[in-house]
Amino acid sequence: MLPELNAILGPIYFWLFAGLATLCGGALLLCRHPIQGAVALIGVMLSLSGLYALLHSPFLAVLQILVYAGAIMMLLVFVIMVLNQGLDDRIPRFDAYSLIGLALPVLLAALVLNTIGDSRSGIVEHAGTVRAGLETVAARMFDTAGGGWWLLFEFGGLILLAAIVAAVMLAKRSLDTVADDDQPHHEHAGHAERAAAVAAIPDAATVGRSTETFVKPPVAGTH
Amino acid sequence: MSHLDPIHVQLLAAVLFALGLAVTLTRRNIFFLLMGVELMLNAVNLSFIGFARTVPGDASLTGHLSPLFIIAIAAAEACVGLAMVICIVRNRDSLDSDAYADMKE
Repeated sequence: MLPELNAILGPIYFWLFAGLATLCGGALLLCRHPIQGAVALIGVMLSLSGLYALLHSPFLAVLQILVYAGAIMMLLVFVIMVLNQGLDDRIPRFDAYSLIGLALPVLLAALVLNTIGDSRSGIVEHAGTVRAGLETVAARMFDTAGGGWWLLFEFGGLILLAAIVAAVMLAKRSLDTVADDDQPHHEHAGHAERAAAVAAIPDAATVGRSTETFVKPPVAGTH
Repeated sequence: MSHLDPIHVQLLAAVLFALGLAVTLTRRNIFFLLMGVELMLNAVNLSFIGFARTVPGDASLTGHLSPLFIIAIAAAEACVGLAMVICIVRNRDSLDSDAYADMKE
């Protein structure tokens, strides 16, 4: 009974998600504000997650929501909101060069559709495919006996670490510390305070660093 | 046994990739450029997973594993790209991609 139900529901779900993904993709192309575009892109990603689950890849469906719709789009929406100072509304959506830019995707789509049409007989579903659940994917990826992808996985971690460091270095205002950058007077006063504390307290050499942090320099009232 | 034609998956992937390319090439706001790149990466992932169901056994797992690395690269790309956007907007005070036309000088 269940396979017959799936035979009906499977294509319905497929065309539902496919239509939703295409609609949201078109909305991304046409909408005006970046936040609307981000919401449209999240719609595409959620639809694709449903498609992955339909295509026997539940692990990637979960990962799509966790990483793409969760982490990446959250970061994107966050940056849009940080940088949105009314700048977005003054930018026209398209210009004259957009027509040239539109020709290339249309040409590409025509070429790809033509190729798919030519090789139609080669793209058929194979009966013996594996359902890629978490255990199957993990066993294949971390197969240290041979044929595993674990080295690529390690390189992926390395690339993410490098990206984090690069992002911090790029987005930082200045490579110096905040104390050196903004408050030079407080820094000097802190040194004086620390020297006085070292002179006054016999065993202040051991606690000198901690007194520096919470003793306020008396500059606010005197000026 | 499923009842989805893999060719429909490939058609959808091609349409989504063309949409992403169109967004990247035609829009002027730099956030839309980044989102178009993300859409293209998603379309490639869908194509991988669609083709995974046309090959037998262990080879089909390759099609399910490649998107994992594409997702990792996309995360790194979004991270660095948004940091560059923050850095550039701080200097130019504009989100229009035309404002960066003189970057080569």
